[in-house]
Amino acid sequence: MSDKLKQIINKQSEQQKADTLDQSDDIVQLVGFIIGDEEYAVPILAIQEIIKPFNWTRVPQVPNYVLGVFNLRGSVIPLIDLRLKFGLQSKNHNDETRFFVLKQGDDVAGFVIDRLTMAIRIKKENIGPAPDTLSGDDTMIDGVGKQEDRIITILKVDKLLERDF
Amino acid sequence: MDEFQEILQDFLVESFELVEKLDEDLVELENNPEDLELLNGIFRVAHTVKGASSFLNFDILTHLTHHMEDVLNKARHGELIITPDIMDVVLESIDLMKSLLNTIRDTSSDGGIDVSACVARLDKVSGGTGDVETPIVEAPVVEEPVVEEPVVTESAEEEPDYDNMDPDDIEAEIERLLAQRQEEDKAKRAAKIAAGESVPEAPPAPDENEAVSNEPEPEHAPVATPAPAAPPPPAPPARASAKAEEDPKAAAPAKRTPAAVEQTIRVDVKRLDHLMNLIGELVLAKNRLIKINVDVEERYEGEEFLEELNQVVSIVSLVTTDLQIAVMKTRMLPIGKVFNKFPRMIRDLTRELHKKIELEISGEDTELDKSIVEEIGDPLVHIIRNSCDHGIETPEVRLASGKPETGIIALKAYNEGNQIVIQIDDDGKGLDPEMLKNKALEKSLISEKEADTMSDKEAFTLIMKPGFSTAASVTNVSGRGVGMDVVKTNIEKVNGIIDIDSEMGRGSSMKLKIPLTLAIIQALLVGVQEEHYAIPLASVLETVRISKDEIYTVEGRSVMRLRDDVLSLVHIGDIFEVERILDTSEHAYVVVLGLGTQKLGLIVDTLVGQEEIVIKSLGDYLFGIDGIAGATIRGDGGVTLIVDVVALMDIAKGVKATNINEANSSEQLINEKTKPSDYCVMIVDDSKTDRTIMRKALEPMGITLIEASDGQEALNVLKAGDHQFDAMLIDIEMPRMDGYSLATEIKKYNRYKNLPLIAVTSRTGKSDRMRGVESGMIEYITKPYSSDYLASVVQRNVNFKAEFL
Repeated sequence: MSDKLKQIINKQSEQQKADTLDQSDDIVQLVGFIIGDEEYAVPILAIQEIIKPFNWTRVPQVPNYVLGVFNLRGSVIPLIDLRLKFGLQSKNHNDETRFFVLKQGDDVAGFVIDRLTMAIRIKKENIGPAPDTLSGDDTMIDGVGKQEDRIITILKVDKLLERDF
Repeated sequence: MDEFQEILQDFLVESFELVEKLDEDLVELENNPEDLELLNGIFRVAHTVKGASSFLNFDILTHLTHHMEDVLNKARHGELIITPDIMDVVLESIDLMKSLLNTIRDTSSDGGIDVSACVARLDKVSGGTGDVETPIVEAPVVEEPVVEEPVVTESAEEEPDYDNMDPDDIEAEIERLLAQRQEEDKAKRAAKIAAGESVPEAPPAPDENEAVSNEPEPEHAPVATPAPAAPPPPAPPARASAKAEEDPKAAAPAKRTPAAVEQTIRVDVKRLDHLMNLIGELVLAKNRLIKINVDVEERYEGEEFLEELNQVVSIVSLVTTDLQIAVMKTRMLPIGKVFNKFPRMIRDLTRELHKKIELEISGEDTELDKSIVEEIGDPLVHIIRNSCDHGIETPEVRLASGKPETGIIALKAYNEGNQIVIQIDDDGKGLDPEMLKNKALEKSLISEKEADTMSDKEAFTLIMKPGFSTAASVTNVSGRGVGMDVVKTNIEKVNGIIDIDSEMGRGSSMKLKIPLTLAIIQALLVGVQEEHYAIPLASVLETVRISKDEIYTVEGRSVMRLRDDVLSLVHIGDIFEVERILDTSEHAYVVVLGLGTQKLGLIVDTLVGQEEIVIKSLGDYLFGIDGIAGATIRGDGGVTLIVDVVALMDIAKGVKATNINEANSSEQLINEKTKPSDYCVMIVDDSKTDRTIMRKALEPMGITLIEASDGQEALNVLKAGDHQFDAMLIDIEMPRMDGYSLATEIKKYNRYKNLPLIAVTSRTGKSDRMRGVESGMIEYITKPYSSDYLASVVQRNVNFKAEFL
């Protein structure tokens, strides 16, 4: 019995391995969202969670795009409004507004986005570099993904989480 | 022996930490050679390592760091520009320092590394000739075994006897050891004189130590000294575990007495930290539970289950508090651990300075959180060195001024409320406020005007400014003007405060007040507009309620009279950029903050209460915001920021008074009305029918109508700010928030001061109308009404332009 079980588990893990290999080869998984009129995306693995908006506390002496901090199950996390960060007018939150909690290493921050679109699987070959005018170390753009009739801007998570004031 | 080992371990752990930090800083410095802060930091590291090594008798290390310090000091004062060449020398010296520390870790002595070449270069850089005396390399090698060996020998062979010895015998033994030690010292001095300059000569034939130390030499063989007489004590070189493993070994044979042994278990500090974090969460949950309990009590008054709920809540809160204290206790260490190293230090200093000083220690059993104990070691070293060097006079001077020849430094620790006080008193010459002011003026640390208005107590705090030193010459002990700066930085790091008192000719007294623990503190919660802030209760002296006419403006700053003092005031809203929308009442609350000698009145709108809060960091992204020490999570799940009182006092100096009597109204957007739909009116009524009737009456005008079904909703719509309302029609009787309360709430906002509020109600009593007027309604329409009448009232109140009719 236990032997059988082992066999099954082994098989499964092999399958999974094969699967992941398959994916990591040339598919990138992203989550898309809208800010203003543009669609952006970040790698799915950088997302800790996506939550509905709730109350936050303003923090003084920070740029206007840092709305403040909020309580995520006991941790105090900064909240950044991507509309303001990208130079758009701020907008009142509505039913589609979400907080995007991104995590890289020890850095965690929440980002306000206008609305979610979908999880996107995109082939690596379909991702082009950021336009020349925008590339360089300072750009937040990692690349531009082309899918059917859409163009998706892929953002650098580390740049988003980097303090720039 | 144990004591020395303990100190040595502490020294090593600390030094390695510092050196690690130093590496990062130096690299950073090469990129920003101008960064004074960085330079100061590096300098302090060199200073601290030097200080500690000199009293542990690591002469070579002291010698090296002393010269490093010289170079860095010049750079710090701008007398020297750090060029890459100089940087090379400094880096080389730091590498040497590291290898010396490694050697010390492995062998407990700093022999075997030749630093003379590097020191010569350092000296050249700092402007010397490069011709420097280097202490004789073997000196410490002879020195160390003397400290180490006899005791090691005893711990291995004779120690068991100690327990059974008479006090007299022990006395005698100590006498013998001391005598022996003095002999060695003499021999060493003689050797130094004889040897003259920096030639590392063969060590003198090791004495009796040789006999016992025939263990094989550890791996650090390539040493200048042949088979040094100082193989380390049997402890393995791994530093952290060394002591741990050695202790039981040494102690085991001694355990003959059947006395009850305290049962202990070694626990990784990380686990305790984790436990402490969990307790923090529990405290937050408890606060929340208490809040919910209050809400439930209000809602279900008189119900039976309330009693039970109450009981459970109080038990949970009691147990949580006990648990918190219990866990805090596991992290507590007696402060004696720090105090232990001072007698030895004083002894060495008295010799070096040719003074007679006695150290009196009391309260060494007082317990403090481990993390704090680690932080206060350095500051205390600096303070005591200062007392010895600057405070206590030489015996001749003391005798001349009618004091006993021997100076006394008293080191005391005791509990005071939620704080631990460490007090260092000396009966030396005391601080001279005038002299301090002059010195500070000379170094342009303060302005002439500041000096004039400075009280004596404030003058004493000058000694803690970076770069301030009263010593006429730079000695090995002090005088570079960093020491007290280190003290201040370290004490502030643990939220402590320093209080200095002194009397000329009688001595001075320094009090370090330190909170018991770092993670959970008592705080005063204050409100400004709709925001809340937490102020650590330890810095709050008192709170007073004042009327706004009591605030005066002097030279552009707000002040008030508090009993006999003038207290400068600052509005918390000015510091934290709070938008003033709500019109506050005639009165304000002033929280009097005290930090050492400084006092400041912080004006707030409301006092919320006292609460136990758990400090959480804001994370890297928001690190280092001026005036904010961290955040806490409140009972309602919201986040409240914790005020950093030290920083706040600094910010307050730069804040100009804003006249709080005329809170400037936010810019009113006066839009020119170009069409009827530019007019916007809100209808607030809980009945759908009534709302429809009103809508029907007003729709023909073509104005925009927004509906809300109760007061709360109306307020939310108003706050959302999507529309610029020209008038509101308000029913009186509504659920959640009635019309009167709504009107009162709205009138609290400055920007809605002139918004016409029209009551539409079936209540016709005179008292009802009176209440309406009191709460800020300007028109009172009684139901039923004709549509024309309603329309005309609205038109009148929104100044409806005739051309739209």
